Amino acid sequence: MTVGQQTVDETTSPARGWGLNTWDSPWLNFKFLLGVAIVGLILLFGLLGPLFWDTDLAYTGAGPLNKPPVWQEGGLPEHPLGTESNGRDMLAQLILATPSSLKVGFLAAIIGMGIGMVLGSVAGYVGGWWDHVIRTLSDSAVTIPALVVLVVIASYVQMTDTTAMALILAAFAWPGPTRLVRSQILTLRERSYVRMAHLSGAPALEIMFVEMLPNMLPWLAASLTGGISVAILGATGLEVLGLGPTRVPSLGLIINQATTNAALVRGLVWWWLPPIIILMVIFVGFFLMTIGLDEIANPRIRQFSSTRRERAAAGELPAVEHAELGGGEEEDAALEVDDLHVHYFTPRGEVIAANGVDFSVRKGEILGLVGESGCGKTTVAMAILQVVQPPGRIVQGAVRIEDRDLVSLSGRDLREVRWRDLALVPQGAMNSLNPVTPIREQMADAILAHENVGRLELEARILGLLNDVGLPERVIDMYPHELSGGMKQRVCIAMAIALNPQVIIADEPTSALDVVVQRVVAQTLLEVKERLGVSMVMIGHDMGLQAQLVDRIAVMYAGNLVEVAPVESAFSEPLHPYTQLLIESIPSIKERKPLNVTEGLTHDLRNPPPGCIFQFRCQHVEQICRERRPELVEREDDHLVACWLYEPERQSMIELEEA
Amino acid sequence: MRGLTREYVLQRFLMYLLTIWLGSTLIFVIPRLAPGDPISEMVGRLSLDAGYIENADKLIESWKARFGLDAPIHVQYFRYWGNVFRLNFGYSLSHFPTEAWTMVSDALPWSLGLLTVATVLSFSIGVTIGSLMGWRRTPRWLQLILPGSLTFTAIPYFMFGIMLIYLVAFELDWLPATGAYSRRVDPGWNLPFIKNVLTHAILPVVSIVLTSMGGWALGMRGLMISVNNEDYFLLAQVKGLSPTRIFFRYGVRNAILPALTALALGLGGLISGSILVEFIFAYPGTGYTLYQAIISQDYTVTQAIANLIILVTATSVFLLDLLYPFIDPRITYKRNMR
Repeated sequence: MTVGQQTVDETTSPARGWGLNTWDSPWLNFKFLLGVAIVGLILLFGLLGPLFWDTDLAYTGAGPLNKPPVWQEGGLPEHPLGTESNGRDMLAQLILATPSSLKVGFLAAIIGMGIGMVLGSVAGYVGGWWDHVIRTLSDSAVTIPALVVLVVIASYVQMTDTTAMALILAAFAWPGPTRLVRSQILTLRERSYVRMAHLSGAPALEIMFVEMLPNMLPWLAASLTGGISVAILGATGLEVLGLGPTRVPSLGLIINQATTNAALVRGLVWWWLPPIIILMVIFVGFFLMTIGLDEIANPRIRQFSSTRRERAAAGELPAVEHAELGGGEEEDAALEVDDLHVHYFTPRGEVIAANGVDFSVRKGEILGLVGESGCGKTTVAMAILQVVQPPGRIVQGAVRIEDRDLVSLSGRDLREVRWRDLALVPQGAMNSLNPVTPIREQMADAILAHENVGRLELEARILGLLNDVGLPERVIDMYPHELSGGMKQRVCIAMAIALNPQVIIADEPTSALDVVVQRVVAQTLLEVKERLGVSMVMIGHDMGLQAQLVDRIAVMYAGNLVEVAPVESAFSEPLHPYTQLLIESIPSIKERKPLNVTEGLTHDLRNPPPGCIFQFRCQHVEQICRERRPELVEREDDHLVACWLYEPERQSMIELEEA
Repeated sequence: MRGLTREYVLQRFLMYLLTIWLGSTLIFVIPRLAPGDPISEMVGRLSLDAGYIENADKLIESWKARFGLDAPIHVQYFRYWGNVFRLNFGYSLSHFPTEAWTMVSDALPWSLGLLTVATVLSFSIGVTIGSLMGWRRTPRWLQLILPGSLTFTAIPYFMFGIMLIYLVAFELDWLPATGAYSRRVDPGWNLPFIKNVLTHAILPVVSIVLTSMGGWALGMRGLMISVNNEDYFLLAQVKGLSPTRIFFRYGVRNAILPALTALALGLGGLISGSILVEFIFAYPGTGYTLYQAIISQDYTVTQAIANLIILVTATSVFLLDLLYPFIDPRITYKRNMR
């Protein structure tokens, strides 16, 4: 698991983690619950109203005409909300009208949702010809202005009750849910847990209900609440136009009667305003439910708004404790990373992703940064580039290029250093290029952000760069989707060398490519490096590839560097038990050896143990390893390791204990 | 292979025809599925008003023949389509010598003007607000103010319109309440008339814009947040580009694509909503004419307007579809359109 990024264990259905009764449940979304409460209150008003108020007063001639509400002059206590021009009591009318308006909405939306779920499942699951027909139908149905057709229908068909109206409205409520269910199924069926259910031979219906439906629930619910308000709006629209059922009281009908009796001009505010207020409250309620459900369904939105809050809590200013300046140990370093600490401020505690990482890259050197996924290599890369994403933050340390500390730079100063001195070959070249602009523009804007170059020179330079990485000239006017994965990665390399930077960070540059392309890309990187003499940090977990490419290797475990050594001595005599483990795990064709899997897991990154961070998986663990953390010290020539095994002190301590 | 491929245009055009066919057929079929028929209903209502109509049965028969309702349903259907194609909807029943189509085409410019202005305003304002809300670098004071613009999002246009009429037109007497222009000005291309038309349009436009921009803003906010997490967005930062360039070329440029799709799909809903706005403001567009036609049981005009609105909606969607490949170069490659 990569710290700080949203990662889902793909083999278990995420819905299973959503306890509906725990306080952690995402369903406890404030907006959603507020919406439920609002709609619930309105519903109660309609359902319980008849118990407290005589609804017979809602009919013509029940009281005096045009009386204002009781708090205005001339108001009568027996008609607290006043009466209209036919002597009908407003309170009684509202009590009768509210549930019928809600009923139409619920009924139409539920029927529409039912149709949508059937059609959407067929389209998404059966696919092929069915999918084509259903998709085309729903795509075109959704663009038909529903109210126009409804109005025409209503003008022919005299609607007698709300059920008839709900049925007609449902005819326009299905395309939305159909599209939704179809796209959800298409997404979900690619997920591993659904695939696994398929492989285990579960019947399609069971997969649908057990594996897929729970995961679609927030989306379906959002679509339902949205659908209900659209249906209420449609029904109210017809009623306001006087085309709804005229015998049944409804909120829209009251508005219709008020407007056709010129209630606006005559100042009979209590006639037209109350139904509008009730409707608005209903719409606000459903709207809150819909956006609340959207946040439940799409955790990124939640994350976005919560990180802002957390950032405020953690303090706006990057309160970085700067390491003393000029503390560079090596004269010929192109990049120095000095005591770097990066923490992620999650709601469940502070995750320590980089804990005092300290290394330097010499001029013209490739330094490999290796470790298992989740050890913090990418975090270190992001921290070097000053793009640690919230809720993460550099809490301490310095990143120096030419004695300038990037951590203390911001705004324009930082932008100037970026790319000119420090470039990136990103991890996912697949998604690292802007999909809607041609390669020319993406390479040009990197150059133009730092240099003033004329048009012709710019074009010549881009073509030269493409040529440098072995791409044909026509690539310049192509879009990312027209290139293969390897070509995209080479475009990224061409972009990285555009300004002759001091240092290039290559973040698993070959990880998503197939083996042959991997070699080509790696070869390109090496050539570029040889020619330009650029320094490079090569991040990766493929030890075999590292062995061929890098000059020195830095091994990272759980946010800490455990060993830094020249590549030959790191492979021939690895010192740290974790490095030994990594090298043993390189598969060999010549001999098949049993996989050496160590027991024990990485510790909780929020709460690192005292002593050595590798103690739970180490075979040589001793008492001292549990008590004191080993420093990264030079044990052999240029070979640094953080382990008590090579500390004479440990030997004496063990002897002491034995004595 | 970029821009418009023949396959793509053909596919979209077939979709366009399908939409028109589906809409018009619904208008034709559903009334005929209902129990009773319009003529008997009409005569029934007439006889209720008049007390008694002599030879009501014969009247029904002759009117049915007049409207071609005595023919078998498939014959009626083909005739209907013939008329739709020739834009021949017959004479208006309520304004007899006028042809239904003339009444409709008189109303169309008002609706098109109102809706185009309102839609362009609400979409562009909404998208701007949403983009800023979903961007990490938006100044904090803006981040605090922007959600306020969503206040009226949940309220249907026409309810907001009623309240605007009451407050701004009647209580404050700042702007005219109804109509497209005053009787006292001469229609034509002169300044007083144009000013008059604009003042009349303010309230309807405002009621549509204020209530619909929040929806675009919310959608755009979500899309922008997703783009914020994309690798290319990160790389743009690392490239040292200026924040405004990242915002426009990498953020908005990508996030707006699904919003445009939503606009095309939402046009039908916008047009539906505008019918009610026109009704509330007595604005002489197609929506208001449709309402009047229904009140006066003018079936020919009703059919003409309904078909016209479907045609206009489908055409706008088709035009947006044709624009789309120029904005999103990937579109003609995608087998499965969203």
